[in-house]
Amino acid sequence: MRTRPATRVAQYVAVCCYLVFLAFPLFWLISSSLKSPQEFASVTPSILPKHPDLSNFTDALEEQGLVRSMLNSLQISVATTVLVLIVSLPVAYALARFRSRLRPITNGWILVSQVFPVILIVIPLFMILRPLHLTNTIPGVVIVYMVWSMPFALWMLQGYVSAVPRELEEAASVDGASRVRTIVLIVMPLLRPGLIATAMFTFISAWNEFFFALVLLQDPDLKTLPLVLARFVGAEGQVQFGPLAAASVLATVPSLVFFAFLQRRLTSGLLSGAVKG
Amino acid sequence: MSTDALRARASNRRDRPGGGRPKQNREAIFLFLPALLPVLLLSVYPLLRGIALGFTDARAGLNVDTNFIWFGNFGKLLHNDLFWDSFRIGLIWTLSVTILQFVAALGLALLLNTNLKFRGVARTLALIPWAMPPVVVAIMWRLLLHPTNGPVNEILQNLHLTDHPINFLGDFSTALPAVIVVGIWVGMPMTTVTLLAGLQGIDRSLYEAAAVDGASAWHQFWSITLPQLRTVIVAITSLDMIWNFNSFGLVYVLTAGGPGGKTMLPMLFAYNEAFRYGNFGMAAAMGDVMVVIIIVFLGFYLRNRLRSEA
Amino acid sequence: MLRKPIIALLAASALVTLAACGSGDASSGGSGSTEKVTLKFQSLAFQKTTVAATKKIVADWNAANPNIQVEYVQGSWDSVHDQLVTQFQGGTAPDIIHDESADITGFSNQGYLADLSQYLSQETKDAVPQGVWDTVSSDGKVFAAPTLLQSYVVFGNSALLKQAGVSTTGDALTWDQLQADAKKLTAGGKYGLGWGLKSPTATVLNLGMNFDAAFFEGTGRDAKAKIGDAELEVPKRINAMAYTDKSIDPTSLTQSGSDILPGFFGGKYAMIVGGNYAAQQIVEQAPKGFQWEVLPPLKGTSEKQAANPQTLSVPAEGKHIKESAQFIDYFMKADNLAAVGQGDWLIPTTQAARDAIEKATGGKNGWTQTLASGAEMTKAPFQSVENYPKWKDQIATPALQEFFANKIDLATLGKKLNDGWGQVNS
Repeated sequence: MRTRPATRVAQYVAVCCYLVFLAFPLFWLISSSLKSPQEFASVTPSILPKHPDLSNFTDALEEQGLVRSMLNSLQISVATTVLVLIVSLPVAYALARFRSRLRPITNGWILVSQVFPVILIVIPLFMILRPLHLTNTIPGVVIVYMVWSMPFALWMLQGYVSAVPRELEEAASVDGASRVRTIVLIVMPLLRPGLIATAMFTFISAWNEFFFALVLLQDPDLKTLPLVLARFVGAEGQVQFGPLAAASVLATVPSLVFFAFLQRRLTSGLLSGAVKG
Repeated sequence: MSTDALRARASNRRDRPGGGRPKQNREAIFLFLPALLPVLLLSVYPLLRGIALGFTDARAGLNVDTNFIWFGNFGKLLHNDLFWDSFRIGLIWTLSVTILQFVAALGLALLLNTNLKFRGVARTLALIPWAMPPVVVAIMWRLLLHPTNGPVNEILQNLHLTDHPINFLGDFSTALPAVIVVGIWVGMPMTTVTLLAGLQGIDRSLYEAAAVDGASAWHQFWSITLPQLRTVIVAITSLDMIWNFNSFGLVYVLTAGGPGGKTMLPMLFAYNEAFRYGNFGMAAAMGDVMVVIIIVFLGFYLRNRLRSEA
Repeated sequence: MLRKPIIALLAASALVTLAACGSGDASSGGSGSTEKVTLKFQSLAFQKTTVAATKKIVADWNAANPNIQVEYVQGSWDSVHDQLVTQFQGGTAPDIIHDESADITGFSNQGYLADLSQYLSQETKDAVPQGVWDTVSSDGKVFAAPTLLQSYVVFGNSALLKQAGVSTTGDALTWDQLQADAKKLTAGGKYGLGWGLKSPTATVLNLGMNFDAAFFEGTGRDAKAKIGDAELEVPKRINAMAYTDKSIDPTSLTQSGSDILPGFFGGKYAMIVGGNYAAQQIVEQAPKGFQWEVLPPLKGTSEKQAANPQTLSVPAEGKHIKESAQFIDYFMKADNLAAVGQGDWLIPTTQAARDAIEKATGGKNGWTQTLASGAEMTKAPFQSVENYPKWKDQIATPALQEFFANKIDLATLGKKLNDGWGQVNS
């Protein structure tokens, strides 16, 4: 369906407005990372730094363990995302398709774990992980993140699975395919956008998570990125803005690259062909 | 094969006696298994403990006794005006952020779903708030909204919309709205992505059929898009509501609940109770109250969802 | 048919769990031996210079004490409280804890800190005034060593002050004088004073000591609120300057101490009141050619201010209390304290260290006045009151914020502060 030129223009304008709102802060951040402390304190802010210099970046990189923490965060986030997807998809499928007794219980757990203040869970959690020697380890953090990302993943995937018409699966099983084959060959491709969205969210939650990491990780070598970023904030609201901005730019770029890569796969034109065929 | 024929075949299967219930249970359990142990240990158990704490007088301290006081905390909570104040602010915040964010995200998702040039770039840029670590987001917005040298005030003054700088985060009347705007900013990517993924899953042929029938764009939106998106919308808005209600890190750094308690969200309130005053039992009681109220509230909203999918 | 895989999975998970539990505790044992001891020192040093100075102290100690090695762990002010709450609950607190007295007192009341009085050297004990020791002691036990202090001082824009003929010499600056000066300096769209009172409670209570304000009577659980004229003096004067004289920039009242610096540099206000450590930011951020100075210490009926020193403590459940205290003792030596204090622009608690800084800096950049203000710091009654943090958060801060926004009057403020105490303790 062709859109009228007027509508087209309106669409572009609208997108631009949105993008200004959403992206402007990042550009301000990048510009800030190139500013000197004097410029931060000047009464007339400018979008472009007057005398751009990279000393903030060198300061940020000198901060002990920034790069190391990014690698740690990357490791943890990727592991968490992969595990969550592998484990949640079968469960989400079961929740969406089967009338099992476990469904209300699971949904109840999902709801309560999202609603109850996580900060109050931290201490009992810590007490459980200690005898298992999982505190202060990367695998420990990954398992905790996995378990705590699952409720969201299940909630969302349930929705996406339910949106796939049952008829497709039933047609496949009538044609002789086993349950597993049906899931892999028919349902999963249609779920691709949903899986991508869930993967993005899980990655980001793990990447940005602060509280559990603060409590579970003691070794300087194991600290994650948010913990190191917190170090740029001192007492009484003093903030080393320049280095913090630089470190934040460094922290944001990997996520954006990840997104740029994944957002292409959010498209799925497969469904339109399947039912007609 | 036409949809009708499919449906006929499907219902034949379902009509068979004893069709699949016990098998479904076993299959379901099998699918649940890998996750079961870690989830029970690291999620269910701490949650149960956390909930149970609300019925005790647990306090921070070396070798402090913890006793069950059953409904003692809840009794005190009933009279705690500050708690209910924060609850009220939490509701305003939650509803504002969730609804406005949903509307904005839906608009953006629809736009990103069309054949715009540079669609990939637009989609990536739309995800920027998501890519930024929360600690940075709050500090950055504080900079942006700074009355003396923040760009927002600078732009407003250049556009002659105001003649003196506004301290958005420090002014009694602008603090909550400002914080809500930041909340919307932070949450938009997720909602947008989820809705976009949902939109992508809608069968194009439905639109084509409607266009042939002469339906307008608006009509198509109402009668095709929205119904098809229903499950996703319900899922994401209910989740957004829960998260927004529970949000505290963002507001903590932006305003610490001030000025004068105007942005004191309930989770921040509970956090202070637990971590600053050491009253773990009372804080857990607050958590319990919040869980109950939210579940009841959502219960209505999700009535269909929890029952559905037969 | 499905039963076998299920049983297999269950068995596997059980095995994994058992294996994790059974993998021996390689780090246990050896705590009784007299061989090498490693202490974890979590430092919150923030400025680059302070981090360097602290690390040097650790390195020097390690070189001189091969049997007691100290490991430097970087923490952050922002999250130290939450960290300590969970660490104390879980028994994993570092051996040497860096915090500040206002925060660490709560943990001491909860029983988590070791008594250092028997381990610290007499030299250290004599070097710090009793008033400051009082802020880290309770029930005859010393739960922390006070290292660095901060005071509230008045910074001035030298050029603007000279222009208006405001004198900046003298032993002290009385509040009346401050008010007069601020008025004089308010002209031509500029204000005389900027004051970052976003978090007003600390300022009001600490400076309240200038007028011998107590705010509370008694200690611990039985303390009662005492809000009288002395207590309301500081808020009253600030409000007067802001709304009667109109010499304080009203926007600054809702900003934090660091946020008002741009206005100061831009000449929006000629003077600011802030923690003396703001000098660090001024030096770093001021535009070239900006001349500034520190005015003499504030004086009400006295120059006293409440002391809230940075502290070093040892957990009660720590395994190496004696060794940790030895390191703390070393940290408190004049040269070491001076190095750290200089880095952070804070005032050491010992006179010897203060003298060292005066010598090293030549008193420039306001150091002379700053160091002088440190001499009159002492303990305020509110510091030994239980439930003070709750009263501060829920009663004092909102009420003071409302008062400084001119939304309530002085009498209402007094009433709220007083009645709020009963509310908090109910």
